[in-house]
Amino acid sequence: MFYAQLIVNGLVQGLIVGLAALAVTLVFGVARFANAATGDTMTFGAYAALIGHKATGSLVVAGGAAVGATALLSLTVYALVFRKLAGRSVVALLVTSIGVGFLLRSVLGIVFGHNQQLFTVPLVRPIRFNGLIINPFDLQLAAVAAVALVGVFLVLYATPIGRRMRAVADNRELALVSGIRPERVMIALWLLVGAVTGVAGMMLGMKTIVSPELGWEMLLPAFAAAILGGIGSPVGAVLAGLLLGVAQELSTPFVGFTYKLSISFVVLLLVLLVRPRGLFGRLEGVR
Amino acid sequence: MSDAKPVLEIRNLRGGYGEVDILNGIDLVLREKEILTVAGTNGAGKSTLAKAIVGLLPRVTGEIRVDGQDILAVPTYRRMAHGIGYVPQVSNVFAALSITENLQVVAGVPDRKRRIEEMFALFPLLGERRRARAGSLSGGERQQLAFARALMSRPTLMVLDEPTAALAPAKVAEAFALIARLPSLGVSTLIVEQRARQSLAISDWGSILDGGKVALEGAADVLLADPRAAALYLGQAG
Repeated sequence: MFYAQLIVNGLVQGLIVGLAALAVTLVFGVARFANAATGDTMTFGAYAALIGHKATGSLVVAGGAAVGATALLSLTVYALVFRKLAGRSVVALLVTSIGVGFLLRSVLGIVFGHNQQLFTVPLVRPIRFNGLIINPFDLQLAAVAAVALVGVFLVLYATPIGRRMRAVADNRELALVSGIRPERVMIALWLLVGAVTGVAGMMLGMKTIVSPELGWEMLLPAFAAAILGGIGSPVGAVLAGLLLGVAQELSTPFVGFTYKLSISFVVLLLVLLVRPRGLFGRLEGVR
Repeated sequence: MSDAKPVLEIRNLRGGYGEVDILNGIDLVLREKEILTVAGTNGAGKSTLAKAIVGLLPRVTGEIRVDGQDILAVPTYRRMAHGIGYVPQVSNVFAALSITENLQVVAGVPDRKRRIEEMFALFPLLGERRRARAGSLSGGERQQLAFARALMSRPTLMVLDEPTAALAPAKVAEAFALIARLPSLGVSTLIVEQRARQSLAISDWGSILDGGKVALEGAADVLLADPRAAALYLGQAG
């Protein structure tokens, strides 16, 4: 039962990692670089949610603020930075994204200070189910994550712009000669990625404490999950996030809280040794 | 030379990927509902010419006119709207997308649903497997999907880059039979092809490239009988 409880705890953490990994993998798949600003963009989402929540006391408004503000930030960063660097090397874009992350973190530190801030959510009695203790707030967060995931997958698989995004991710040149306008796809991509990152940041902020370093610490697990899921595979990123979240929680009794993050990388190494393209990666997708 | 209206006119086309020109002043004309084979040895500039026409060559000078309009400065994604359909040599389908999605993603197609059904009527095999992932198709099926995707936008000009290169020998004749049908669909076709003899056999005209220039051109049947043409492309599958 003890381990079952750890699995339940790990699933919520895994959803956060999965959402962050989804953002990483979408950018990698379509824009072709590893966006190291993902973690700090999550932090921005957490602060946006915090402001929305403090102003209204409504979690729905907090969610809306996180999604809206982070999507707008993401689009702005694309327009001002990444759009101008289109066609540059993967390394140049990665290094630039590290710089964007640093800038974002510094600005958040200057504006909000380095004090840790908390979401004040009402205390509710936990639900007991067959010996498992489930926090109703976790269930709400899981529901938010599920809605966000369904939304992203609906956009990707059931809308024309989503299909075009997947087409560009699959074969950029063929997309161009098929009349697909790269600019429109990129705008949709960065809005979508911003929204997902905002939700992930809000969830992380609500589960922990909000500080300018919040998302930076989530970047490595997000990258690990994106690679583990098969880089460029949205389904893989989410499932790998869940796997890593559960693996981290299950390892806590053995390695302690401090070292549970390293378990992500042990799992990553083991999977990549057996299946180098990740759990859901396709060979033709690796370019 | 026939009196049909020119669909594609290329004048003094030069260009390449880096500093060195691969195309060294190409001139050619393709007329309405005709097929033109562009042959030549490896490195003669055949595929580079195809890429230049569709806008995938980074550095190009000269003139490319489609239906009388100069498209040299037109961005790649807008060339399809000028009536150009392109089937690349490799990676010619969106492997991660289903057959239907491969057709749905083509931009700017009026009455898209009906056009997709028209493509399935033209390629019944694709219609039967419309939900299958394109990456799971055989070489021949992929080729059909690549043609269907390129035909979605109702092009007036098809540019085919080595359309038989990735096919099993048994499927090559099928591919040429399909290409031979394109004029009946109102499409003029430029084929870049290593199998020069087979390609010339279904073509109206031929241009043999050498060193990025047209070394020999003329009616396809005349070129087929010309030992100089054979000397320029022989050594290839013929």
